[in-house]
Amino acid sequence: MKIDFVGKRYYFIALSIVLIAVSLISFFTKGFNFGLEFIGGSEMVVKTSQNMTVAQVREKISSLAPEFAKARIIEVHALGQAEEKTFSIVVAPRDEKGNLRVYSADEKAELSQKVEQALNAKVVSFNEVSGDAANEIKNLTWKAVVFTLLGILVYVALRFKFAFGVGAVLALVHDVIITLGFFSIFGIEMNIAAIAALLTLVGYSVNDTIIVFDRIREFGRKFKGRDMASVVNDSINSVIIRTINTSLTTFFTVLMLLLFSTGSIKSFAFGMTIGVVVGTYSSIFIASPVVIKWVKSL
Amino acid sequence: MRSDRVRLILSLALLVAAVVAMLLPGGRPASGLAKLFSRVKLGLDLSGGVRLEYRVDIEKGVENPSAVVDDVWTVLRNRLDSAGYTEAVIRKSFRENNSFIIVEIPDATDTTAAEKLVGSTGLLWFGQAIDERTSDPMINPDDVNLATREGAQWYPDKDGKKWYLIKKEINNRKDLVLSGPRISEAVPTIDQKGVANYVVSFTLDRQFVEVFKNITKELYVPEQVLNSGTTQYQIALKKRLAIVLDDKVQFVGFVVSPIEDGKGQIRGNFTFDEAKELAAILRSGALPARLEKTTASLVSPLLGKDVLDQSLRAGIIGAVLVMVYMLVFYGIMGIVAIIGIFYALIIIFGFLAGTGAILTLPGIAGIIFTIGTLVDGNIVIYERIKEEIRSGKTTKAAIEVAFSRSFWTLFDANLTTIIAALFLYYFGTGTIKGFAVTTIVGIFSAMFMNLVFSKFLLDAVSAGIRVRKTGGAQ
Repeated sequence: MKIDFVGKRYYFIALSIVLIAVSLISFFTKGFNFGLEFIGGSEMVVKTSQNMTVAQVREKISSLAPEFAKARIIEVHALGQAEEKTFSIVVAPRDEKGNLRVYSADEKAELSQKVEQALNAKVVSFNEVSGDAANEIKNLTWKAVVFTLLGILVYVALRFKFAFGVGAVLALVHDVIITLGFFSIFGIEMNIAAIAALLTLVGYSVNDTIIVFDRIREFGRKFKGRDMASVVNDSINSVIIRTINTSLTTFFTVLMLLLFSTGSIKSFAFGMTIGVVVGTYSSIFIASPVVIKWVKSL
Repeated sequence: MRSDRVRLILSLALLVAAVVAMLLPGGRPASGLAKLFSRVKLGLDLSGGVRLEYRVDIEKGVENPSAVVDDVWTVLRNRLDSAGYTEAVIRKSFRENNSFIIVEIPDATDTTAAEKLVGSTGLLWFGQAIDERTSDPMINPDDVNLATREGAQWYPDKDGKKWYLIKKEINNRKDLVLSGPRISEAVPTIDQKGVANYVVSFTLDRQFVEVFKNITKELYVPEQVLNSGTTQYQIALKKRLAIVLDDKVQFVGFVVSPIEDGKGQIRGNFTFDEAKELAAILRSGALPARLEKTTASLVSPLLGKDVLDQSLRAGIIGAVLVMVYMLVFYGIMGIVAIIGIFYALIIIFGFLAGTGAILTLPGIAGIIFTIGTLVDGNIVIYERIKEEIRSGKTTKAAIEVAFSRSFWTLFDANLTTIIAALFLYYFGTGTIKGFAVTTIVGIFSAMFMNLVFSKFLLDAVSAGIRVRKTGGAQ
């Protein structure tokens, strides 16, 4: 059974262009939902004499206000004070536009009272804190992105042909834009975990693309003189089982994570789940057409 | 087969090295299987750490207090980074017109070093030491009077055992004052005179070189004077250069030749870590405001212990599903893939334990990615073996061909990934570097597993490999 992937490539290219356009529009209109690691928020420090775990605290306060469902809760052992338990609860309240806002004094008093009731605890302080993650990505500038892409382009161009390098880089850019687009459209929180997912996606996308390219290179040499489109189609058909198997195994793991995890890990699982699908799709339908267009024979 | 024996020996050697690295003493206290991972350092997000809170003492009437706090943040970030605390986080916090800086540092054992690093104001200045005492001069009225008379002040040395009378204006010349200069370079170097001691070599920023040159000219004492009669030596004793940091005397000594290039050394029997921290403080410059420690505490994992437990469970379910899938799809070859996953994990954790690299959430992402790559490599090889068997080869011959054909496939795919990860390592900071490290090590171990160890294992189980003759690949 042979499927004509190559013949339908223009439909897929059109689909990708639409997805990229929608993503870009969302970047500039809707923007991103940055997590409190980036933008900071309000920190409430509570003390209680009751023996509670972080999970119990989360359960009790998560329904108090929408932002409390995504609170970052840490247990703090103040040195020298053993009897009382101290928790730091950081929340990022938003205004209607989704931007971070500061609680008014009245709100603080009201929320403090609610939390004190829910936890049977005392609110020691309630103040604004800055984010701490901006430093993590301060060097991930355009320069870093361009150099990374150039590195991939040069290696693939040396080992294959220039057009293959272009294909790999295009597929990579395609994957990152569309995955970011999903983050923007669905308002999934952008945090360090999301960045980690995007980085993993970079590796995954490149890896996947090269395996398809390798088969094209092998078949191209084996069937010299044949039409490039049919070589590419045969190559895709012969690696499709391994592509599906690989993607499915990774997909299982990240889907489990997406279904069963909470908090900032969910962003990681979301990015990975989208990334695996988009990365697999692009290695077949985006990277290869570039090769067909530019390379006449191998 | 001989080549298989070489593969086995290589694979086992790497495995033993990794396990030894994991079992070396010095890890967290743990029991049972957890002992294996006790040497792997965990980041703030996974295991918590120390939290230090400082109030930023901003003088009244400062026009833009939040800019001062920003500057404090930048200086501390540079300091922590250049002393190796790249995984530490710094947050600003504001309440009741007060500004606070919160520093969180993973690996709770060495807070004292961290506190020294953060708490130091980092104000460096040069002065003229005109006298010294070995007991506290502040309780002796004569010494206090002497200081007033000379227009100088007593400062303790960094061990608190000696006190020096120091003038900020060299030979009372108002143009010869050097306080808080920018340091363009500061590095720990081995003390050429002492044994196994370190000194900090620094270079002043260009605009301060001229003043420093004039100061050292003014205090210059020819070497023969130091070896000559007592009167001249007594005069020279009043012309010693003092280097003061945070109001503690770091160094007092004779200037035996004027320094024209702005380079100098601070010596003081430092260990390497002390010298590294002092260099970090000098390089990052002085804090624009004093910091007053308000609290020190230990914090639980930033990601939340409950979140981590849930995710771990989900991760294990996912991993088991992958293994079941491989078993169902590839039979006995699936077992080789499962052995491979455990093998690669041990190598990665062995590396982390051996190097002391800190594992954070993005690092775990790198590990998950590695497992994906490893399974992918297996599938590439197994599909090839199936193809070759279907085309009529014997199982043994099919394995040979599949490995030689897949070698360059996996080599190219993995090396491209490593290239991308190397760029991330170079440009990244903190946890992104952590991701790059686990990815690079992970891909190498996956490559080794797939190209070396798997071959041995597959040869060993080749009699049990069954392949349907129809369906599947072309």
